[in-house]
Amino acid sequence: MNKRGGSSVLRLAVPAKVLLQRFAFLFLILTAFGIMLLSKAETIVVEKVSTVVVDVFAPIMDVLSRPAAAVNDAVKTVRGFSDLRDDNIRLKRENERLLIWQEAARRLASQNQALQSLLDFKPGPKSQSIATRVIADSGGAFVRSVVVNAGDRDGVRKGQAAVSGVGLAGRVATAGYRSARILLITDINSRVPVLIESSRDRAILSGDNSGMPRLIFLPANASIKSGDRVVTSGHGGVFPPGLQIGRITVATDGIMRVKPNVRFDQLEFVRLIDFAAVSSVVPKEGAETPPKKAASR
Amino acid sequence: MTPSLSHRLDAVARNLVPAALGVFFVLLSTIPFYIPGFGPVAPNFVLMAVFFWAVHRIDLFTSITVFFIGLLLDILVGAPPGINAAVLVLVRTVAASQGKVFRGKSFLVLWWGFGLVAFAAGLVIWILTAIYHLTVIDPLPIIFQMALTVAAFPFLAWIFARTHQKLFQNA
Repeated sequence: MNKRGGSSVLRLAVPAKVLLQRFAFLFLILTAFGIMLLSKAETIVVEKVSTVVVDVFAPIMDVLSRPAAAVNDAVKTVRGFSDLRDDNIRLKRENERLLIWQEAARRLASQNQALQSLLDFKPGPKSQSIATRVIADSGGAFVRSVVVNAGDRDGVRKGQAAVSGVGLAGRVATAGYRSARILLITDINSRVPVLIESSRDRAILSGDNSGMPRLIFLPANASIKSGDRVVTSGHGGVFPPGLQIGRITVATDGIMRVKPNVRFDQLEFVRLIDFAAVSSVVPKEGAETPPKKAASR
Repeated sequence: MTPSLSHRLDAVARNLVPAALGVFFVLLSTIPFYIPGFGPVAPNFVLMAVFFWAVHRIDLFTSITVFFIGLLLDILVGAPPGINAAVLVLVRTVAASQGKVFRGKSFLVLWWGFGLVAFAAGLVIWILTAIYHLTVIDPLPIIFQMALTVAAFPFLAWIFARTHQKLFQNA
């Protein structure tokens, strides 16, 4: 375009405008890459700004998310009607089973109490929880996180575990004043120290953006099979121990994966567990010890 | 208020509509819809808006507006900040440069053009995300997302076209 420089002002003005636009384009692209680099370097500035922006938009997202939630509830109610009879039969059977378990639990609780008093056992501090509503989903193809409508003012802190009724959903990645972002266990950045409930083998549950996170760092001699329950181990001090996560499934490619109990597409409410008080007494992640087989008695 | 001032305010308000629509679509992208499997592959509404306005009224959708809309999208959905900002600025520039090809032609030409741009954008998002996380990422979600985005384009384009007509017919 520079070759066509003419004598008239008009002929010059147009290329100048184009040049300015080109410059703006380059400048913006470079700025975008700069921001990406800054956030990759875990700069606190990018996180702070993002948290403030999410906070500002949280009330709007809260309002916008309600109609979809209401429709979802209505659909669930209507579906519930058609399953009423089957549910009734199933629940009656389950109730009978649970009554037996209740009996067993009572017996074990009193036995546990007696043994604890014998051993002079000091129970860990009780954790508190905060109930929150999911106001935003991640619309991205490569992100698995949600925003909830509680933040710093409600006692939400970075690192708290987020659970739904059936198990672990994720942890608080950033907490703003009135909103917080929960990184789900399926996200590519999520790593959760876990324990296979039956064998007591330890591993790390590593998200890869698929619906079923992978189990990595499993001991070579681990005796596990499909269907085994996976719970948080509590190592690293981020999550309370014993939170249900899901069941092991061995994929066709031989990779151990966990099918989470939580249905992430139906995540409407989550409870955030304040576990920070206990974290100081739990050994840090780096201090790896060989898996204990007989830890549960 | 003098007629000229009210007229000018009116014009400003009209000119802000595309940007406001952009922000609205960003917010729409964050709504949890509770449809199994829909979240990761939900159509990229913002991409459609940027493409449409870049082809038809580039003057109302400056690169700075597009940049901030992309950044807002990144921040609200929790993506690495900057990725959508860069991709949307790119899409705007490409769409604007090809604007003459699309304007006044049949809708199919515009749709076909959008298809090409959407898949190129998906490819760039995939590559940038993989570089950002320093790991290979399964490209399936973005392929499905872009397929749904292209499929949903006629519907959104119709809404944009109506808005465009209503706003700027007499302006």
